[in-house]
Amino acid sequence: MWRIGLKETGRYAAGLLGALLLAAIVSAMGAKAGLPAAALARVLALARFDFGTSAMTAMPAAAEMARRLPATLELVGGGAVVAILIGGPLGLLLSWGRALRAAAPLIQFVAAAPVFCAGLALLWLAHRFHWDVSAQKGLLFWPALLHGDAAGIAAALPAFALPALVVGAAGAASVELAIRRSAREAGEESYRKGLRLMGLGAFEVDRLYMAPRVLAGLLANLGEITLSLFSAAAVAEWVFDWPGAAILFIRSVALQDWNVAALVLFAFAAIALTAAFIGALAAYALGGAEP
Amino acid sequence: MNATLAKPRPTGPSLRAVIRAAGFAGLGAIAVVVGLSNVLARQPADMVQAGDPLSPPSQRFPFGTDLFGRDVASEVLHGLAVTVSHAALAMLVTIAAGGILGFVAVRFPLRTGAGLRWLAGILGALPPLFLAILLIGLTSRDFAPVAAGLAAVPLAFIRAYDRSRGLARSRHAEFARATGIPATTLLKRDLVYEVRDGFLALATRSLAAVTITLSTVSFFGFGTAPPHRDLGLMIASARESYFDAWWTALFPALALMAFILCARLAAALDEGEQP
Repeated sequence: MWRIGLKETGRYAAGLLGALLLAAIVSAMGAKAGLPAAALARVLALARFDFGTSAMTAMPAAAEMARRLPATLELVGGGAVVAILIGGPLGLLLSWGRALRAAAPLIQFVAAAPVFCAGLALLWLAHRFHWDVSAQKGLLFWPALLHGDAAGIAAALPAFALPALVVGAAGAASVELAIRRSAREAGEESYRKGLRLMGLGAFEVDRLYMAPRVLAGLLANLGEITLSLFSAAAVAEWVFDWPGAAILFIRSVALQDWNVAALVLFAFAAIALTAAFIGALAAYALGGAEP
Repeated sequence: MNATLAKPRPTGPSLRAVIRAAGFAGLGAIAVVVGLSNVLARQPADMVQAGDPLSPPSQRFPFGTDLFGRDVASEVLHGLAVTVSHAALAMLVTIAAGGILGFVAVRFPLRTGAGLRWLAGILGALPPLFLAILLIGLTSRDFAPVAAGLAAVPLAFIRAYDRSRGLARSRHAEFARATGIPATTLLKRDLVYEVRDGFLALATRSLAAVTITLSTVSFFGFGTAPPHRDLGLMIASARESYFDAWWTALFPALALMAFILCARLAAALDEGEQP
């Protein structure tokens, strides 16, 4: 475990370092000096937590980011809950028995819809059914939920539910896929048959040996699931006008505000790398394969 | 639980083969439609005032008209042609810089391959959509197909690299080295088998992935510019009107989804989504 922990920590640190270098290069795009010199200067600045200022607002890039990131995390958090609630049972269901496994390709029909098409379809339905999505948005739902504020939840839900559903649908596809993949791999293990021959019931074998493997497979894909949630968050923020960091990144790139774009990229990469790191360790602890 | 995790039996090659054949048949049909798009479309691309603005589907305009009176059916055909041609270019970039380079990189000297694998790991920690937007922002909108292809490269590279590394450490590789077969001969042999067994799957998986990325960057306004509108841009322009004129968004979206679906079916995706 220690060996794996050290190896994964080293990989994680190398990943963060690479993301920092990438952010420095992106940030140096706006500098007047040559790219290598500017990138080096930016690396040194980033190491001192100096993220520069926004070319759009002249505010510190870190302040812009701090203002927007919580709204994205709120959306991604809601999406993650939806993803687990939909993708988990769906993944198990589509691993269940031969007939249902054969039905798994049908999921392709749903997965062929790009996230922005799903978002627009939901927005159209909301318009048809007079669902008000124009209420105040960002950082309202989770605080209300944590404080048990029913009125706050009711006020925040209309604007929060649809974008979270869009993000969650994209995440659910990743969760379902990860579960199906790991269930298939676990089901192919030869020890399963051996344990049955030793007298263990199929339920015990699955509960004690297979279920942790499936969970480990899901955790091992945590980085991938996080990526799909953030990708979908960008689309949901754009479609539903959600004031998050993903939309800030798109606007920063469009307006060539490289300091802000670099910082958002670094933050997203760091979150994805952290999720992959935690997922890999947790998966290994649960008896999954060595990462 | 016991039934859930019962040892999976293959669903049978016939089902997989049927799905795959259906996907390729669909892609073939789309290729024919795209090839004949200028003949099939009744109006040239971006032809405004072909009819009254926002006319619903009718005999004259089967998919209706948009806000500027353009024939949506003709625009969908032209948009599909642009989307397919850009996606094909992006797919080639992904195959070359991801699938093939990743496979070959394992045998690069001085641990260059490991360095590239590390770089791919960093870039793979970013959503491909963000990577594509960044690359377009750093270059220009004309670069969108290449950017979408490059955005899919890290995952394709990692996949190919890891598979190639497994092959390089396999028994047949050890045997080849022990008997003095040159590394280049072994690489050529592995590459031939890789292309023979995995090329179509890689190509179709990449096609589906880059089409989604391309149409999404176009939806955000980072892709093609009029008069060469692709389906993503068509759907984005329909945002102004689609609450009341649903046909302006629905038909381009259906065409886009049909293309992605065919690519995914042709890849017979069931074990992984990444290119």
